[in-house]
Amino acid sequence: MKPPPFQYAAPTSVAEAVELLAAHADDDARTLAGGQSLVPLMNFRLAQPGYLVDLGRIEELTRIRTDGDTLVIGAMVRQSDAEHAPEVALRAPLLAEALGYVAHPPVRNSGTVGGSIAHADPAAELPAVALALDAELVVVGPQGTRTVRAADFFVGPFATAIEAGEILTEVRFPRRDGGQSFVEFARTHGNFALVGVASVIETDGATIARASIAMSGVAPVPVRATAAEETLAGSAPDDASIRAAVDAAVAGLSPSGDAHGSAETRTDIARSYLRRGIELALTRAQDRR
Amino acid sequence: MTTTDRPAAPPVRTHKEDRTWVGRSIRRVEDPKFLRGRGGYIGDMTVPGMLYAAVLRSPHAHAVIAGIDVVEALAAPGVHAVITGEQAAELCDPLPDFGPNPAAHTWRCLAVDKVRYVGEGVAVVVADSRYLAEDALALIEVEYEPLPAVVDPERALEDGAPLVHDDLGSNCAYERTFDFGDVERDFAEADVIVTDRLRWHRSGGQPLETVGAVADFDHATGALTVHTNSLSFTSYLFMVAGTMKIPANKLDIRPVPAGGSFGSKLFATKPAVIAGMCSRQVGRPVQYLEDRVDNMSNCDHHGSDRVYDVRLAVMRDGTIRGVDIDTVEDYGAYIQFGVGHHGNALAQVVGPYAMTSVRYRVRAALTNKNQQGAYRGFGSEVNNWMLEQMVDKAARELDLDPVELRRRNFIREFPHFIPTGNVYDSGDYDAVLDKALELSEYKRWRIEQAKAREEGRCIGIGLITAQERSVFSATEFWFWFDEPGAPVTSMPESVTLKVDATGGITATLYSCAFWGNSPETMVAQLVAEEFDCDPHDVSIVYQGSKNGLPATGPGGSRTTVMLAGAVEGATAKIKAKALRAAAHLLEANPDDLEWVDGGYQVKGVPEQRKSLADIAVMLHLFKHSFPEDMESGLEDSKVFDHPYTTMPSADRTDLGVFYPFMGHACHVPVVEVDLETGSVSFLAYAAVHDCGTLVNPRSLAGHIVGGTAQGIGTALYEEFVYDDDGQLLTSSFLDYLIPSAMEVPELRIAHHETPSPYTLHGIKGGGEGGRMMAPAAINVAVNDALAHLGVRVTELPITPDRLRAAIRAAESARGRE
Ligand SMILES: Cc1cc2nc3c(=O)[nH]c(=O)nc-3n(C[C@H](O)[C@H](O)[C@H](O)COP(=O)(O)OP(=O)(O)OC[C@H]3O[C@@H](n4cnc5c(N)ncnc54)[C@H](O)[C@@H]3O)c2cc1C
Repeated sequence: MKPPPFQYAAPTSVAEAVELLAAHADDDARTLAGGQSLVPLMNFRLAQPGYLVDLGRIEELTRIRTDGDTLVIGAMVRQSDAEHAPEVALRAPLLAEALGYVAHPPVRNSGTVGGSIAHADPAAELPAVALALDAELVVVGPQGTRTVRAADFFVGPFATAIEAGEILTEVRFPRRDGGQSFVEFARTHGNFALVGVASVIETDGATIARASIAMSGVAPVPVRATAAEETLAGSAPDDASIRAAVDAAVAGLSPSGDAHGSAETRTDIARSYLRRGIELALTRAQDRR
Repeated sequence: MTTTDRPAAPPVRTHKEDRTWVGRSIRRVEDPKFLRGRGGYIGDMTVPGMLYAAVLRSPHAHAVIAGIDVVEALAAPGVHAVITGEQAAELCDPLPDFGPNPAAHTWRCLAVDKVRYVGEGVAVVVADSRYLAEDALALIEVEYEPLPAVVDPERALEDGAPLVHDDLGSNCAYERTFDFGDVERDFAEADVIVTDRLRWHRSGGQPLETVGAVADFDHATGALTVHTNSLSFTSYLFMVAGTMKIPANKLDIRPVPAGGSFGSKLFATKPAVIAGMCSRQVGRPVQYLEDRVDNMSNCDHHGSDRVYDVRLAVMRDGTIRGVDIDTVEDYGAYIQFGVGHHGNALAQVVGPYAMTSVRYRVRAALTNKNQQGAYRGFGSEVNNWMLEQMVDKAARELDLDPVELRRRNFIREFPHFIPTGNVYDSGDYDAVLDKALELSEYKRWRIEQAKAREEGRCIGIGLITAQERSVFSATEFWFWFDEPGAPVTSMPESVTLKVDATGGITATLYSCAFWGNSPETMVAQLVAEEFDCDPHDVSIVYQGSKNGLPATGPGGSRTTVMLAGAVEGATAKIKAKALRAAAHLLEANPDDLEWVDGGYQVKGVPEQRKSLADIAVMLHLFKHSFPEDMESGLEDSKVFDHPYTTMPSADRTDLGVFYPFMGHACHVPVVEVDLETGSVSFLAYAAVHDCGTLVNPRSLAGHIVGGTAQGIGTALYEEFVYDDDGQLLTSSFLDYLIPSAMEVPELRIAHHETPSPYTLHGIKGGGEGGRMMAPAAINVAVNDALAHLGVRVTELPITPDRLRAAIRAAESARGRE
């Protein structure tokens, strides 16, 4: 479990990093963030980049700021820093709650928000959060800067819209009102979840105005539970609506099974956790009013 | 055999009552070095000129090795040697193997001709660093011709199954049925016969440091020195010399702290042989240290993997008459310890219950998996689980209270010989049960359970009462055969005590590289008890095999009892000499002296006294002050043989005494099952153990916590999953789930002390008890939570998948009604 040889550079600016990636494209250059996913892959020799561009010294990527109503998190913000940041608690409590489920504190101390989203593990929490919150991903490459909507960002297991030579620099979370919740089922604490559910629910008097729900672990990419969202919108915030929404969402799921859970078990768990997630978000939405 | 013709038991001892050090929770004497990072593990060792080895592993479960091309690997930077399995077979003989027929299921350090499981080694590279060695592994080209794999143990025994070892002609490495007592009568007379089919899947001990060795072969002297974290079997590791084809007196194996074993480093010889072979080839020291994937796929120490078909003969009033056990065990591709794991089961096969007969059929299946070795419990924990599920099922079928049913069957007179011939030396099962009922707040939880059920919540209470055998005797590996290949060993353990010229005491241990079982603390407390010194002042050192006395080391919860016997014996020799010296110095008759507070004095005349230091300095330096026949110095050793072993009967209807010091425990977990997800969480957990007289209550409690945590792993999380093609799906901790502090509840622990009549102070072993109890208790608890829904789980670990499948099946059965 030792990596094959590689070269290493630690630039101090995004521009420099992009240049290095371009210059060493033939060596299969890769960006290194917290290393909590990439380094194990290299130790297993499942990834064999010849050149690593470490983003760890780029100051500008480590900031958490606000831009009007939008919360902006630099790609290199450590997961534990985001988890405990007051701005995150205030503006995207869903993100803070989800971060508490990512691995263990020592992993979160190194792992980054951008790294998790760029890595795009179908079982990971943050991609589902980005999807539920309609986040925007800012990507910089030789051709300049572009912004990708979360809905277009996750293209397959461990595959995103980031092109070779590009770097994810920021994750932008637009302001969302209502109740937010993240719930997940993992076999042991800190392990990857079998199913995760990120929910944002806004109520308007006696009805549910809008629901955004994303799930991890049930498909090759995080998915929006569109059928549940549509069922909930405009309906009463009661058990019957929730049941109907859950049924509608589960009907559309076809997760694949593995050693930790068959497709059937994952579906059972998804049904349970969808309900728990929606209930919790709804309770919080009602508490806020 | 009737009781009258049993060999005599050892004399019943009287135990010292006013103990000073034995029984106290002193700080462990090992802690400072480990907590400061000064333990000195294999990974910490550097030897000048040391090279590193890495092993190429088979990606196939079963394949012919048609060819290996190492040319490119040999030419890679920093590479000193590449040795293929074929070459290794010329350099070394097969590994030491206690299996039934080693000539037909031959086990070598690297595979020759064909691979038999995913992870089996096919070649080894020696290079300047482990990095370069692994780079070179990637350049070795192996041509495999895949063969169909056999993964299921019952399927392996069917006709036409692919053969793991062609020479064996079948995948059944061992089969035999034993009858103990009048099985036919007990079953014919039974009111009810409870039957079940149970499945225990394989897991294993997960050490922090994997198995490794640093070997240094000196071509000038022909001597091989190996530092390894195996058990430093001074008694058995000489067999490595046989494998290496060197004289045993040229081999020195030095113990290195195990860094965790839980059994999984018991007699681990393969890494030592690989390192030794490589060192001899390149003429430089070589380190071979398994990485995590090496260890998980190829440690040769996977745990039990059993299918059971069981029948329990029970009377209407709850009296259990007998048990009929038919088990198929999946041993994997080799079978290094034979079916000794079933000897362990037979040591306490009837649990704490007064049954009169046992039928035991065992079939050992070979499959395309890594082989079994040892894992805390060594197969007895599986028997405990099986028996407690059966007893629990009997209670349900007879509609009896599960606690009362157990109590009704308790053995109450000791020593008690169980039908297999093993003895239970002492015990008080009622007292342990009473304590556990109180500690666990059993009654309160039954009320909580009823309340919760009204709310639709599923709480279960899993009370089990089971045995905790200790101090194994090698006959359990031996009585399987009518004509065993060798006589049986007594599994000795040795200690040397040296009193230096200042009266300071050093104890030398021969086989106890730190396994987590605190041998140094045990010896320090025992020596302090004998000599009235502070245990923290006793110096403890280890000796390598070359200058070692016979010693077996930890395993089968034997260390403390065996070390105690050796300490007692060595102390007696030293005190005899010291007494004679003191009598001479005091010009008194030895009979008029007594040992008081660390010295000898004339009875009733405390001022006429010589302390141990007074005596020691005279004996070390002033020999001429003593009679001619007295030698200088004050040092002696004791080789302590197993204190209570008797031979099996020729027809094997009685296996003799082989696990005599019988502990007992009662575990009471309270769990809640989430029906929707099939997950299990703990609301409470209480454990009461009786391991005889306690040496150090806190270190024993540590064993109970750690063992219970592992038992929770076995019950709910841990499994080496092989798919239908024999691929190992759980070869790292990403997939092989270990419970962490988050999954393990706070335990309430209490001890009960029923001394053994046969050991020093009445000590029994207690190293494995947590894991012997927890899987059984948790399974009972889960079934207790779900019984009202018609769900009964019969397979471990109880994963969400298995539990949801059982719940779904019960739901659809109810739907059909
Ligand atoms: C024991 C353990 C448990 C874990 N459990 C969980 C869990 O429960 N949930 C979970 O979600 N994760 C889990 N992880 C993964 C962890 O969250 C990682 O931190 C995360 O997946 C990757 O972040 P990183 O900063 O470490 O990225 P790295 O490992 O450095 O990189 C990951 C990948 O993303 C790419 N990348 C990183 N940053 C950028 C960027 N700015 N632009 C473009 N590409 C980039 C890299 O090139 C690489 O391919 C676990 C990890 C460990 C070791």
